[in-house]
Amino acid sequence: MTAIASPRGPTMKLYVVVWIGLIVIVGLEVFLTYERLPAGTLLVCLLGLALIEAALGVMYFMHLKYERPALFWSLIPYLVFALVMMDHFWPDALRLMRQRMPGQ
Amino acid sequence: MVHSVTSVGAPHGAPSEGSPYGIESKKLAIWLFIIADAATFGAILFAYGYLRLANPDWTRPFAFSPTIVNGIVMTVVLLTSSLTMVAAVAAAQSGRASAGVRWLSATILLGIVFAALHLREWFALIGEGWRLFRNPMGGSPLFGATFFGITGLHLLHVICGVIVIVVITIGFRRGRFDAGHIETTALYWHFVDLVWMFVFPLVYLMNVR
Repeated sequence: MTAIASPRGPTMKLYVVVWIGLIVIVGLEVFLTYERLPAGTLLVCLLGLALIEAALGVMYFMHLKYERPALFWSLIPYLVFALVMMDHFWPDALRLMRQRMPGQ
Repeated sequence: MVHSVTSVGAPHGAPSEGSPYGIESKKLAIWLFIIADAATFGAILFAYGYLRLANPDWTRPFAFSPTIVNGIVMTVVLLTSSLTMVAAVAAAQSGRASAGVRWLSATILLGIVFAALHLREWFALIGEGWRLFRNPMGGSPLFGATFFGITGLHLLHVICGVIVIVVITIGFRRGRFDAGHIETTALYWHFVDLVWMFVFPLVYLMNVR
């Protein structure tokens, strides 16, 4: 087996700080939910906070911050591109729903 | 064409290419799996998001207690399981095998608690008359399909993760698996945790009464 030494990761103290930060963000999400914002605004806020949580998790818990940059640049832009394409084409599905033939 | 060939710990001096990312192949493989799975969850969450916003009469059945409280507890349990998992990886990498097994056992326990809370929630909803394509509140029947579909796919990932961690823990205890196997499993477990960070706000919090 090829032995490749893992780079040094964060300390347990940093992990606990990230964990507390994630729980605080969850609390903020629940607070915003009961502020009775319009559905679109609430969705944008919740998605934004979820993206911050995902970034913290990927960078610290999953150690991507401590891997070679090549790994980040090989994985994340592809995923972002795929998700942006989904976001771009899903509304088109709703447009097609309105293009039914008369009488259908 | 000249290929760059190095022999990095290859058996019997056989030449092999070094990893361009400086990680073991199993770790790269799990990263590729995670990216593909993230695209899968992304697709169903986008579909759900557009359905949710496009339906003005979308059903919002969740009360703060018990559903949202249960969801918050589930979220904290899953986040804590990620913390115990990084502790297991750190212990295994520093050669503290018994501590690694203890942290892995804690992660398994938290994963089981999450699955049990999730199933309790499901059975309560089914008891109220919710089905994949039946809405007892009279609104869009798509709510049941999206809720059970998205949370079911996530629950399937959690159950698979718990089974894998049990297998890895037993193997690690017997000396068949090393810290690299635990780290690879941990990447999957953290991914399952991160997916829940999107499922909880989008599927639960967007549907409070």
